[in-house]
This record gives sequence, C-alpha cells and structure tokens, in this order.
Amino acid sequence: MSAKKIFFAVCLLAINFFPLLQAQQVDSHVAHNMEDPRGQNDMGDLQSNHGEHNMTLDSDGMAMNSNWQTLPQDCAKIIREYKFEVYAGTEFSSDYPGTIYGMSEREILVEPCSSVTIKFINTDDIRHQWMIHGLPRYLYPGGMFHLEAAGGQIREGTFIVPSDDKTYLVHCDMAQHMEMGMKAQLKVGKGSGDLWSIPGVSRSFRPDTYLPKASRNYLMLALFVGAMLTALILHLWRRY
Amino acid sequence: MRIRLLFIAILSALVCLPAQWYPEPIRLLFSDWFGAQDYRARPNSLAATELASEVACPEDLQAWREAQTIAGVDIRSSPTCVADNPSAVAAFVRGTNNVSQQVLLDSGLTPDAVEKGRDLDGDGDPDEIHIRLEVAELNGSSPDLNELTAQYAIAPGIKPGFWVFVPKTFGMATENFESLKARSILRVPSPAIRVEQGDKIKITLENSHYMPHTVHFHGVDHPFVDADGEGNDGVPITSEQPVMPGGVRTYDMQPRQTGTMFYHCHVQPQVHIMMGLQGLFIVEENRPDNWLQTLNVGAGQVRVPSVAVAEEFDREYDLQYLDIDRELNNLIQASSDPRVITEQMHNRYDITDATSDYFTINGRSFPYTFRESLVVTKPNEHIKLRVVNGGSSGIALHTHGHKVTTTHLDGVETNPAARVTRDVVWIASAQRVDLDLETTNDGLHSYGSGIWLFHDHQEKGITTDGVSPGGNISAIVYEEYLQENGWPKTQGVDYDPYFTEAYYRKELPVWGGLAGSVFLMVGTDRWMLLRLLGFALSLGMIIVLLLGFIRKRAH
Repeated sequence: MSAKKIFFAVCLLAINFFPLLQAQQVDSHVAHNMEDPRGQNDMGDLQSNHGEHNMTLDSDGMAMNSNWQTLPQDCAKIIREYKFEVYAGTEFSSDYPGTIYGMSEREILVEPCSSVTIKFINTDDIRHQWMIHGLPRYLYPGGMFHLEAAGGQIREGTFIVPSDDKTYLVHCDMAQHMEMGMKAQLKVGKGSGDLWSIPGVSRSFRPDTYLPKASRNYLMLALFVGAMLTALILHLWRRY
Repeated sequence: MRIRLLFIAILSALVCLPAQWYPEPIRLLFSDWFGAQDYRARPNSLAATELASEVACPEDLQAWREAQTIAGVDIRSSPTCVADNPSAVAAFVRGTNNVSQQVLLDSGLTPDAVEKGRDLDGDGDPDEIHIRLEVAELNGSSPDLNELTAQYAIAPGIKPGFWVFVPKTFGMATENFESLKARSILRVPSPAIRVEQGDKIKITLENSHYMPHTVHFHGVDHPFVDADGEGNDGVPITSEQPVMPGGVRTYDMQPRQTGTMFYHCHVQPQVHIMMGLQGLFIVEENRPDNWLQTLNVGAGQVRVPSVAVAEEFDREYDLQYLDIDRELNNLIQASSDPRVITEQMHNRYDITDATSDYFTINGRSFPYTFRESLVVTKPNEHIKLRVVNGGSSGIALHTHGHKVTTTHLDGVETNPAARVTRDVVWIASAQRVDLDLETTNDGLHSYGSGIWLFHDHQEKGITTDGVSPGGNISAIVYEEYLQENGWPKTQGVDYDPYFTEAYYRKELPVWGGLAGSVFLMVGTDRWMLLRLLGFALSLGMIIVLLLGFIRKRAH
C-alpha cells in the first residue's frame, strides 16, 4: 500500500516539476526583484540617479555604463574579445508562438574575463533595449549595462565580464517587452543554469494551460467514468 | 433497532435546532408556559486590528512641488502632496529638442518626445509641434513572476490592468531594476495634449505594446486623410490599418477651432478605450508668446497655463473621469499569451453585461485622489476646469459648497447670456465640459472657505467596489485649509483605515476609527455552529433511515 503511495507521489512530482529539472534558477531569476533590498522602499524615480551612470543619450538611443578597459577585480587580463550582432524586433518572435517581440541572440556564451561588444540592431520602428543585469556594481552602477536603440537604429557598446561562472539576465525593459519574448541570457563560462522563459531555451515558470473550451465537461466525465470503473472492478473482484 | 435509531435521531434534531427557529405559534406557546428564555450574552466585538497604513502624504524628496524656473520656463507651484516632475513640464513647454541634456535626464524623456520647430506666424512661439506617444501596459502579467509588471495602484492594494498612451521615454518602465512599480511618468490617464490653434501638429504613435492600436482625434479638427492620402482618422473600419506592435504611424492636423477635445484608440474601442487608451486634447487660442505645456502627465493641475487661460483664470485643472470593470481590465493579468488575451478580451468579454467596480478621477480613487487631485484655491478666484467623462456611463458631477458655470460644451462656447450655473453637472460618455469655478463667497458661487468635496453623485461613483469612501471623491480646498505638506486640514474621521489595503478588501469596520466605537466587526458564535452541525448530522441520519424503510417496504 505504501509503495503505491510513493509511486503516485513520484508520478505527481515528475509531471508537475519536470520543468524544474530543466531549469534550476527559480530563486534568483524568477524573483530577480528581490536580489537587492535597496529598491524596496523607493519614492520617486531612479531616473534622477542617472547622474551616477556613464551614459550617452540622443534621438537615436543611448548606451549606459560602457566599459572596454577597466578590468574586474578578479581578472588579470582580458582573456578574449567577443563581438555579437543582436537583431531585435517583432520579426524575431515568429518562431515562438505566443510572443510578439524577440531578439536574434537569446543565448550568448562567453569565457570568463572576456570583453563583450554588442552591436544592437533594432529592426522595428519603435524603441528597443538590450539590458544586462547583475554585473559587479563597483564597475557598473546599478549592476547594469544598457543599450537602447530608437526605431531602425543601431547602438554598440562593450563591457567586461568577471571571472565567475554565472548566467546573466538580458532583456528589454519596456513595459511587457520581456514578457512578450524579448528575454535572453548571457552565460559566462559554464554559467549558473538556465533562466526561465527564454524563447527556444526554457519554458515559462507560470505557463498558460491552453485547455480546450469544453474541458471542464471532459474532466467531469473522466471523474465519473473513473468512479464507475473502480466500482465495477471492485464488484467483479468481490464476485470472483 | 431502526425505529429506535430513528427516534434518537429525531430527538437529537429537535434538541439541536435552536429554539429561535421553531415555528412562531409554538414559540408563543412555550413563552406562555415557561416565560422568556434566560439571558445569553451576544458575541464580543473582535479586537481592533493593528492598521498597516501607508503614509498618506509622501514627502516631496525631489522638491517637485515648489514653484521653480527650469530651462527658462516659470513653473507654478503644485500645492498638493504629490506633484508632476517639473523637469518634464519644462521639457514639454520648451520642446524636448530645445532643452539641455540635464533637463532631459531629469525628465526621463527622449530628445524627440515633443519636438518644437519653427515659429510660422512670427508671434514668438513655435508652431511646428511633433509629439511621439508610446503605449505602455500597467499591472500586466509575467510568464514567470507571480506579481504584476509595471505596477500602478489606483487606491491602496487596487491594481487593475491598464493600457495607456505615454510620452516617449528612455530607460526602464519601472522605477529601477529592483522595483516593480511603474515610473511616475507611466500612469493613468494618458497625458492631456495641448496645442495652439493653427499649429502644424504631427502626432506619431509608436506602438510599443503587443496589440494593434490607433489614435482617433475626437472633436479635434483633422483631415480624414493626410497629404499622401493615408488614413488620418484612426478608424480601422473606415480609414486605415491599425498600427501593429513595433510599428509607427504619424497623424497630421492643423486645427482651426479651439476647445477641449478628446483622443482615444479606435481599435476594438469598446475595450481599448476602457483599458485607458484615452486622454484630453485641448486646442488653445493662438496668442503671441504662447508656450504651451504640450503634455500634462496624469492630467490634473496645468503648471504652465496658456496665455488666454492665464488672462481669464487664476488656475487651470484637467479632470478625466473613468470607471473600470475589473472583469475586463484584469483579463491581461490572467495570461501571458497575447493570443489568449486577445480572444478573452475581444471575443469572450461582453461589455453589454458589464458592471463597473472602480471609479477614478485622473487615474486614482479616494484616498489617493487627496494626494494629487485636489482643486486648490483662494477666495475670489476663477478656476478653469476642463472635464471629460472617459467612462462607460454618464456622471453627475456635484460640487459641495459651490455652483459652477458651464462655459463650453464639447469645446464649443455656450452663449454667455444663457449660461447655466448649477451644482450637479451631467456629463455623458466622451462629453467635455469646461467649467468656471468661482470662489466668491456670495452664497451662490461659493459658500466660503473650507474643504468641499466634488464627486459623481450617482452613488456607486463614490465607492471602490462598493466600499465607501472611495471612487472619484476629490475636493476643492481653500489654501487656509491646506497643511504645509499639501494634505488638507480635515477635521472629520481618521484617515488611517482608508490608507490600508484591508479596508478596501472589506476587512475593516467602517466606523472602527471612531474612538470607543461599538461598531467593530462582530465575533462568531461557535456554540450555535456546533448545534447546527448536530442538527444537520441528525437530519442526515433521519433521511438515510427513512430511505431504508422505503426500500424494505418495496421488497
């Protein structure tokens, strides 16, 4: 009897938590807002703090906290130099049903202590952003490096990653753009697992169910049939 | 055996049934025989809970309330607790292409958000205006986080989903990466737009949202098609394709008539307008040196009024009313798949079955309205109120202590000799009314200094999901009744309960704030519950036993 119970429990766990086995970064990335208590009781915008960022802004976009020379404390030299072209816009969502916006590079792999140059090419007519979070704050105010390109524009910038294996969140922070597909990850070294909800890489932590319309009826029917079958089996068992 | 059991069950049912539920003749008979029942104390009141109240009037850390001059623009003081960002106001007046990088950084706007060009008529102000609007979703859902994105509360704990037109900004949608709260420039309602009569206006919709949208200029003089023959009316079923996500369209116009008008999305308007894609559109008289505050974020006080308004009036306020059906606005919180949201919103949701739950003025409900939507005055002033009803049904706008005069209806001046002065103004859906609020203490226009409410007098309008005080209650406050920090010197009940989420979840007693109040939430009677459970148990036994008898007899 208890063996049966354990079997059911294992089945249940396997069905419900299978995604968990695939992507393990629930704590730090689903709840990325809790990473730093600094912003918990905020009045007014951080926009007023932009003074502390190293930033250029014009009609075509902006680049914030570009850094191509200062090494992170844990790096003796730049191991490798990377350059990635990232295209962004609605057309890059077409392979992923249920998304509206997308980026061409959703998983970027680099070696520790390398410099990463991103050429961000916006193919839409509206603004988009390539924003990476979790970089060391002593080099990158707020821990972020940020490119923003106006409609049809290109923005380029460089940053240097530290030595530890870590997966960084990359996204567009315009309202609902990350939620609608503009989410990617940058893995330094082996990385620290996959983030959730990256089109083509990982599934959503809270996916929709997509049940057919009459599913409630089918579920009730299944419940009824299950009960009847059990009754029948018990009845036959008792009889023979 | 069965009979004995049945007898016991019936007896226990009779014992368990509270005497107060016996039939009245029997009760009267018992009363005659035994007299009144003994005293049994009613349940005690529940202890008053510790209130976790928000700060009613947040401190003005960035000194946004003060009168100040930025980029050569004299910005009036904003007497309420929460004020608009003065750098943004200055950038809207000068044009985001004409202010310093520092002003832009402080405002959060892009250099092309409001571009102001040449002075075509040589009267000292720019007449080429190019406004760029994006679309932002507030209180939307996330496929990962079990929290709303870009959060915006209309009242404590109340966060319906919204879509709004917003000025073109740079950077994040939230205050910062650690915060889930939307930046103050992303809010409800969509900004009030102000242009000058005869200006060459371009309005570009940069559709940064995940659904198709357009802009329709309601009441504003504009051609059906632009110079290239492209649709310019914003109506998909007559003039143009909707602007798809990531797409852009520019609307052209040169309005010949002045007045308080309206703009809104015309894609699936029955829901898109109600989602918040609507704002005031004001065409001001053409005057020399008329530098207008092109956008008024969140409507409310106009901190840089036009020349014509400043001549005639001491202050000017934009007031936008909107009611919200939770069943509609919260659909965007139930899914992260735009196809599912589209189907739920446009195929399944039926506005003919709708009932409104929330009632807002300038995107807030009481008590948040007291932070930023008060109409502040001194005696003997004239105040211009431009009011639009963006909601699904009419409002009966009532001003306490004042009778207001209707000067314009739908932007058209009413005959000065035949103007109506009254204290309830009916405003139908999408209708605009310009009101002259006169604060002369003559017993007609004003009854004197004080804190005088103004609100929709259809009583549901003063509630938040049926809880009062809530809804679109705001107040006309005379300066002598205003504290230094902008909070009115009310002398009625304590506001602490109203600044809790629990109050609007209907968990706090409405009179709990009164000292020594007897009107606390009442405790429960467990003994009564036990008796009823016993009664139900006995009844179950009786039914089964009776069924048994019937089956036996059938055999």
